[in-house]
Amino acid sequence: MKLLTHNLLSSHVRGLRPGGGFPLQIQASEVRVRPVPFNAAFVARLVPRLRWAALLEAAESLGHPSELPPEPAADYEGDESFLRRVHHILLEVEVLEGVLQCPDSGRRFPISRGIPNMLLSEEEA
Amino acid sequence: MQPPPPPRGCRMEHEATQLEKQHVHSVYENTAAYFNDLQSKAWPRVRNFLLEQKPGSLVADIGCGTGKYLSVNSQVYNLGCDYCRPLVEIARKKDDEVLVCDNLNLPFRDQCFNAVISIGVIHHFSTKQRRIKAIKEMARVLIPGGQMMIYVWAMEQKNRRFEKQDVFVPWNKALCSRHFSESNQSGDKGEFVHAVKTQDIHPAQLVISDCSYQTNLQPETDSKHSPSMEHCLSRACCMKISEEENRFYSALGRSFRSWFFSRSLDESALRKQTDKMKPLKNEGEWASSTVPIQHSRHCSLDLGHHGALLKEQSLDDDDVFMESLPLKKPQWSPAADSLKDLSLNGGHQSVAQSKSEEAAFINGPVENRDCGCGCNKDGAGKSNTSKFFKRTSTTDSTDSALDSAVSVGDQTDATLDTKAFMRYYHVFREGELCSLVEENVPELQILSSCYDHGNWCIIAEKRGT
Repeated sequence: MKLLTHNLLSSHVRGLRPGGGFPLQIQASEVRVRPVPFNAAFVARLVPRLRWAALLEAAESLGHPSELPPEPAADYEGDESFLRRVHHILLEVEVLEGVLQCPDSGRRFPISRGIPNMLLSEEEA
Repeated sequence: MQPPPPPRGCRMEHEATQLEKQHVHSVYENTAAYFNDLQSKAWPRVRNFLLEQKPGSLVADIGCGTGKYLSVNSQVYNLGCDYCRPLVEIARKKDDEVLVCDNLNLPFRDQCFNAVISIGVIHHFSTKQRRIKAIKEMARVLIPGGQMMIYVWAMEQKNRRFEKQDVFVPWNKALCSRHFSESNQSGDKGEFVHAVKTQDIHPAQLVISDCSYQTNLQPETDSKHSPSMEHCLSRACCMKISEEENRFYSALGRSFRSWFFSRSLDESALRKQTDKMKPLKNEGEWASSTVPIQHSRHCSLDLGHHGALLKEQSLDDDDVFMESLPLKKPQWSPAADSLKDLSLNGGHQSVAQSKSEEAAFINGPVENRDCGCGCNKDGAGKSNTSKFFKRTSTTDSTDSALDSAVSVGDQTDATLDTKAFMRYYHVFREGELCSLVEENVPELQILSSCYDHGNWCIIAEKRGT
């Protein structure tokens, strides 16, 4: 699971308050870093779609502090060094084994071989 | 107009869940390991839809299976998800970004994807409400202006159509060997082909399955021979695959012998479900709308009109399985034989599932597969077929689909494959998918719809700015 994916994930346990399932807290037991070809335009387009604070928090929790500012600068699109750091944290850091925990309900979703299992039981859904 | 549904929501929902658990999820899970992506080609229209997304887009494939669409456009971020963990694991081996989840409860925040595809998925939901919910969930995660493409299996097929909309489709593992699939998945194809070449296999010695189909040459074939037979089969498969991979795989899809019809769980469809076989109107239109890459034909079995149906069926043209294997046609035709012991007591007879065949069929409705129609071409087959299908219970609005599903007759002499699994489909009539969206998912606006190789396809856009 890449951190870009994590940034989109939300718990949907029944009964949560709106937004109560995001962001999922990551408890990782195995993390991998693997290079991915950098594409500035690609990354620049992703930036506005991200929940920035959740991204920073996730990076920290993995022990990969992102060295990113609290908010993207206004001219981020032209800042290659910024984009490379975003690229790294979004796409090159992966959680292979661990758990995602719903902030409000505490429900834990396992990640195994890089695959999060977000299935809920019939009662929880 | 349909009457409003009686207030049985909870029970219906539970039955729907159980039906899908047994006849969708369990089938895919048990057969996933045999699945081979060679069988499934990316559909041109779907490919184009994906390629048209702007670079940097976030694209979700809901019901991604083994992820064949996840590598089409490398300029976008592709995220695949599927209910079936084994299938997702296969996608993962290709380094796809995937997760396991439920279409009815997508684990994504609102409005995060630029595009969503749902290819051959919605037709597995057993009630209208669940199909609507699946579409609404996908709409929820789309950004305003984002687009969704949905493919579902059509009731109207080229030259024929399904008699009913809610069907169980069986298939069995006999048609593709574990050896073959596993070795292919591990990428050892070269080695396997080598093994094949060193074998001295006389086509006449090949048998189709470890416990089912009889061949003309070995009428005593039975399950005791399974190990060697499976091996023979794998060699046969292998030989063919090395020469004509695509044909072999598409042939597996065509080997489905028959269809079982279930009652629709939809309360609104509790009226009589007998449809007469009708010729497709605008048949020429179907033909001309097909994309000239693969060729698809799914047979439908008319419970009451098998004569007419058989007349319509032609066991095909260039894609006929029999022609691509050094086996005689009759060895492949006995659908009746293969289903003798199947009963639909909640599908408990389903044992091992042939994953590669399942794979062929996973993409069956969406891919272009010629269906090996479940009827024998000879006279004997015809009568077998007609004895074959019968209803287990009379229609009753309180019946579950499983209770009233057709069970196989026990009139055939051949050894039977008791390992077939039944997959549930709700096939869509023309206009049904559009109406479903127009009437129930106001947040989506339909941009286009078409018929593509036996499927109804729509592209819809999320309203709003």
